[in-house]
Amino acid sequence: MSGLSAALLELRRTLDQEMFPLKVGDTASDRHALKELAGQLDDYLLPRLAALDAPLLAVVGGSTGAGKSTLVNSLVGAEVTEAGVLRPTTLAPTLVVHPADAGWFSGTRVLPGLPRSTGGGRAEAGTLRLVTAETVPSGLALLDAPDIDSVVKANRDLAAQLLAAADLWLFCTTAARYADDVPWGFLRRARDRSTALAVILQRVPAEASGPVGRDLRRLLEENGLGPVPLFEIPELRLPENGALLPETAAGPVRRWLEELSADARTRAAVVHRTLAGSIDSLDARVRGLADSVERQRLGARELADLAESAYTAGLTAFDDGMRDGSLLRSEVLARWQDFVGTGDLMRGLESRVGRLRDRVVAAFTGRPLAERELTAAMANGVEALIGAVADGAAERTVDAWLATPAGRALLEDEDVAQAGRLGRASPRLQAGAERAVREWQGFVLDLVRREGASRRGAARAASFGVNGLGLLLMVGVFASTGGLSGLEIGIAGGTGVVGQKLLEAVFGDQAVRRLTGEARSDLAERVRVLLAQDRGRFTVLLSPTLEADPGRLRAVAGTIRAHRGELSGGGAK
Amino acid sequence: MKAPWRKNAPSLAERLTALGEAAALARGRLDDEDVEAAEEVVARAGARTALSAGHTAVALAGATGSGKSSLFNAIAGTPIAETGVTRPTTAVAQAARWNPEGSSALLDWLDVPRRHTVEADTDLSGLILIDLPDHDSIEGSHRLEAERLVGAVDLLVWVVDPQKYADAAVHERYLRPLAGHRDVTIVVLNQIDRLPAGAVSRCLEDLRRLLEADGLGGVPVVAVSARTGQGLPELRKILVDRVAGRRERIARLEADARAAADRLGQAARLPADGHDREPPPMAEPLTDALVEAAGVPEVVRAIARAHRHRTVAATGWPVTRWLRSLRPDPLRRLRVEGHGRSSLETVSPVRRAVLDVAIREAGAGASRGVAEPWAAAVRKAARAPGDDLHDALDRVVTGTSLGLSPKPRWWRAVAAVQWLLLACTVVGGLWLSALFAVGYLRLPDVPTPDLGAVPWPTVLFLGGMLAGLLLGALCRVAALAGSRLRARRAARELRAAVADVGVGLVLEPAEAERARFTAFTGLIATAAAP
Repeated sequence: MSGLSAALLELRRTLDQEMFPLKVGDTASDRHALKELAGQLDDYLLPRLAALDAPLLAVVGGSTGAGKSTLVNSLVGAEVTEAGVLRPTTLAPTLVVHPADAGWFSGTRVLPGLPRSTGGGRAEAGTLRLVTAETVPSGLALLDAPDIDSVVKANRDLAAQLLAAADLWLFCTTAARYADDVPWGFLRRARDRSTALAVILQRVPAEASGPVGRDLRRLLEENGLGPVPLFEIPELRLPENGALLPETAAGPVRRWLEELSADARTRAAVVHRTLAGSIDSLDARVRGLADSVERQRLGARELADLAESAYTAGLTAFDDGMRDGSLLRSEVLARWQDFVGTGDLMRGLESRVGRLRDRVVAAFTGRPLAERELTAAMANGVEALIGAVADGAAERTVDAWLATPAGRALLEDEDVAQAGRLGRASPRLQAGAERAVREWQGFVLDLVRREGASRRGAARAASFGVNGLGLLLMVGVFASTGGLSGLEIGIAGGTGVVGQKLLEAVFGDQAVRRLTGEARSDLAERVRVLLAQDRGRFTVLLSPTLEADPGRLRAVAGTIRAHRGELSGGGAK
Repeated sequence: MKAPWRKNAPSLAERLTALGEAAALARGRLDDEDVEAAEEVVARAGARTALSAGHTAVALAGATGSGKSSLFNAIAGTPIAETGVTRPTTAVAQAARWNPEGSSALLDWLDVPRRHTVEADTDLSGLILIDLPDHDSIEGSHRLEAERLVGAVDLLVWVVDPQKYADAAVHERYLRPLAGHRDVTIVVLNQIDRLPAGAVSRCLEDLRRLLEADGLGGVPVVAVSARTGQGLPELRKILVDRVAGRRERIARLEADARAAADRLGQAARLPADGHDREPPPMAEPLTDALVEAAGVPEVVRAIARAHRHRTVAATGWPVTRWLRSLRPDPLRRLRVEGHGRSSLETVSPVRRAVLDVAIREAGAGASRGVAEPWAAAVRKAARAPGDDLHDALDRVVTGTSLGLSPKPRWWRAVAAVQWLLLACTVVGGLWLSALFAVGYLRLPDVPTPDLGAVPWPTVLFLGGMLAGLLLGALCRVAALAGSRLRARRAARELRAAVADVGVGLVLEPAEAERARFTAFTGLIATAAAP
């Protein structure tokens, strides 16, 4: 038995985490199933397994106005619980036991979540009122449950919880209600879990006693509940509020209960039947939960993939923008021409003057102006490209998420303003991009410096200056492959080619290709990190779901199945 | 949702028109389900208003076993509907009518094929009483039939009984959602004969408390017993009043319209915070970005250079200016004159980046004060042109007059002067050559006229050459001034044209979407007015 208990405890522990944060499939019913399962483990399975010989807990449940309290009172032979005409009458459940058995229930063994109250007066809602009565057979506890179908939601939830904790259901319905949809949901569940059950048809008007009983029996048979004991109690005009049913009406039920509880063996059989049914039902229920968790995880995976593909597309766009030479146009191009002074005939003529001017300026400032401007212009271009790529990726991710129900619910759960912010690059990105470009430029200079130091061409490299060569290399990164057409080659490509030739003259073409490749992949890597940070804003929303593990639930279900055999041994004892 | 400018509540027709228009405006912006629900209400109202105004369709709705059919028979005075002890009894709705004339079309529309005509009773002549199946039994088809008719009849009579009056099924699924229909709702507590004497008033009080909680406070609640006839006259009187008033049909449709409008309003998250807030001025920043993206600065620079180039080519010293024509024309290189795509890189990623950011800013600005689901539509409208925008910008650059033609008249004059000066130089040169030849051949001196101390041929040759060079230099100075002027003018014109593109392709669509939202809120306010 300990193996089974341990497995159930293990199952209970796994149920404590939030399992369904995403709106994938019918989350509400998944949550409900989870709550119900956890409740049944706490209220019934664990305590019952721990004490198989505890008294039989018979829960009197059913619709509002079906006479549950009246029946309990009549079975006990005293007014232990309040009956009345206002619906719903019973707000706090009442547990009636033989004084000898009271010890079993006063502790928190059964229904640990419900505070106990004893003594007279009306119990507050949400507590379990404990009453002892000599007239209740020893070994049996009667629990008057609230209704399952009134407007008071707390009642419905509590009734479902109590029924899940019962060894035996006394299910009350009436001639007016026996075809209601809600109670049949409960009855079918009792059938699926082989819960020990008796149906009590109350308030049968004299003229209806035959046909209604037959009709209910037919419905029971149709629903696979043929062998269930059915007791019929006629509609009686009770002289006053709180009056008891006459012995003719309540007697058969009482005798049936007495028979059940008189003998430890029959009692154990009832306990065993319900317990085994519940444990057997666990397998499918736990597996159902595991499937839902799996669905959640797949849904989260799908959303994460959407974000990833949007950001991958962004990275590709950056790569294209970096390679196709477009970073070298307009501003950068102008600065480049200022810097190297190539270009067509006219620019050549003009820039010769420009170069002279630059030299004069450089002599005074200590550092070439054009070089500084070119560096800045290139940085601006790269930063703008990173910003746009990140904006686009964020927007595509939000659009893609909005197109799925789960993603939409997730974004709506976030503040609307927050969702609006998610659709743009994060505010930190700008600063991050600036830093990344600065660091990349530093990296390129280092690269050139190292290459220069290790080469025979060190002297030649020194004559051009590390900064100058670094710039040439950066330009090479942005212009070395095509995407240029017609006259533009003369503008951007040409400049790249000139820089390339210059570099090759210094380092040799093999080395230039390698350096360009290194510089480019370094920049791509830095941008990848930046974009990954930005994407993190999306994945963090999914992280609880992505970490959920249906395998653990399935493993526990397997353990429970493996230990199921212990129960038959223990039950037959 | 208040409409402060409206003193009187709108009529049903106004409401329905407003609702229909609001639904049309909301299509594609809000969930289709909400929009379709509103459209269905409009369609249903149209169908109902076209049918008999003299009849009031009253449905008896309720749980199984509450005695709907018994009450139906009791009001009709004859056992029309089958009543029974096994549940559920009634599977199909049936109608009793007191004055069949003109009622058939209405019953056809309601799709109630089982009709019974009751002996004429002048008081109730406009009444059509419909007995519905239950909504809470294990027979799911009953619920569908009941719900269909609950959604269509003019007046709802909810029949409950002492056992079932607090069932969640009726309160949560029907009474609460229909709280807006309180004017066309009556609640009947049936089977009071089963209650102990004295419990009836307590039970009624409890029922009223529950109805209050459902949002149905003030709805008439009648305690009756279909079996003993207790309370029936009272119920009958209410029915007579309602039927004679002929208001139920309108009130029901108004409640439907209000509910559908509220639903649309909720879907649009009305009222939006600060909807009155004007969007910030966005034209300037957008134009700045578009100017940048269209490559206007490059074009303007090229214009300045081209003007200088062309001026020099047209007015420079003829002997040296042919060299000019060997250089490419800066403007022709950009191919922005004439038609076809310019070779300006309008789609470069960096430009596109600047442009995208500007468009997003514009969209975000235009959507300020618009509730979220619709704000997305505003932003989308601003973004919609996409590549069209690039094309339009390209067209602006190639299509705008760049201020370089026609050629300035002074070029021609200067050119003529230059040629004249060249002619002088040539004449002077030839003359000097002739004089040189005469001297070389020791022929007698030919007298030459003098200008002061200098002979004319020398004046012509040197003067023409110097004047030509000087004029060329002067024209360069003029070209510099002219190029600045033209660059400024072109910048102004291009900016204006680009601004038009921005307004036409980005701001106007966004503004139109915003206006659509404003119209929608107004229509919803009308349709949902209390």
